[in-house]
Amino acid sequence: MEAATHPRGVVRVAAIGRVRATARAAGAAALAAYFVCAFTPLTGAVYRALAMEAELRPADAIVVLGAGVTPEGELSGNSLRRTVYGIRLYRRGLAPRIMLLGPEKEGTVEAEVRARLAADLGVPAAAVIVEPGGHTTRDEARLVAERLSAFRPVTVLLVTNLHHIPRARLQFEKEGMVVAPAPVPEDSARIERPQHRIALAISLVQELAARAYNRIVAGS
Amino acid sequence: MEPIYLLLLFGATSSALYLAATRRLGLRHAGLRPALERVLECVGLTLAIAALNLAAGVLLVLALRRLTGAFVSLYLNTDGTLLALSLLQAVALQWWMKDGEGK
Repeated sequence: MEAATHPRGVVRVAAIGRVRATARAAGAAALAAYFVCAFTPLTGAVYRALAMEAELRPADAIVVLGAGVTPEGELSGNSLRRTVYGIRLYRRGLAPRIMLLGPEKEGTVEAEVRARLAADLGVPAAAVIVEPGGHTTRDEARLVAERLSAFRPVTVLLVTNLHHIPRARLQFEKEGMVVAPAPVPEDSARIERPQHRIALAISLVQELAARAYNRIVAGS
Repeated sequence: MEPIYLLLLFGATSSALYLAATRRLGLRHAGLRPALERVLECVGLTLAIAALNLAAGVLLVLALRRLTGAFVSLYLNTDGTLLALSLLQAVALQWWMKDGEGK
């Protein structure tokens, strides 16, 4: 290698210097953002600002979006919360049917696991619609529109997480449905533990990225 | 309460480390600033490399979806492990650049 005093060496050292300076600036900004997100209530405030209020009213169907299942047949925490909340809305008489979504993962179908839970909790089988086809929110909106095509216009109570509601609502409205948001009750906006705030900030960034992806790549 | 507790803990152990480093190891106070700048560099490089890994992962998933027709989740790229691997890449690059500056 040439010495740093050689012209090419000088150029290389200057380039490294620029990379280091840029990295320092980025690092300082990232650490500042980390401390603000973890140690102030800002994350919760942004979460509340981006969320959507519940509009619980009678509908043609309660639609519970998928959120994951283990190969052993256990619903993820999110999936379980959404399912139980959907069942509670059904038992309150807000809709005559409940549609449970969730695709197959390594031999286990989330929607079927949810349907078994609904049966265990007293929901009649005739009121349950199982839809195992959707992998993305967009797929789910399309499949729900197909399955509920007998009702025009169809009104759905949309059950998903608070920060997911705006994007999901947009997809469902694009498919011609009237959407009443039914976000799963959660206290994420009031959390205090720094690691939970960071997790919330990451989920917010993911959601915003998903919205941007839908706009740019999927054109919606 | 928890944020304040953690910040106090962080402040107390940082002070203790400073005292131990200057008194027991004989490190100079003047050397602390460049060391902290190295930390910032490492964080910045980690983020930049994580962003590259994420972008490459998104492209890979989209390509796999198109080529195989199977559904591969974009969320695969949000695994926290990728950040730890990006840190390893960043530390290696940082030391490599340090070597490049000296030659």
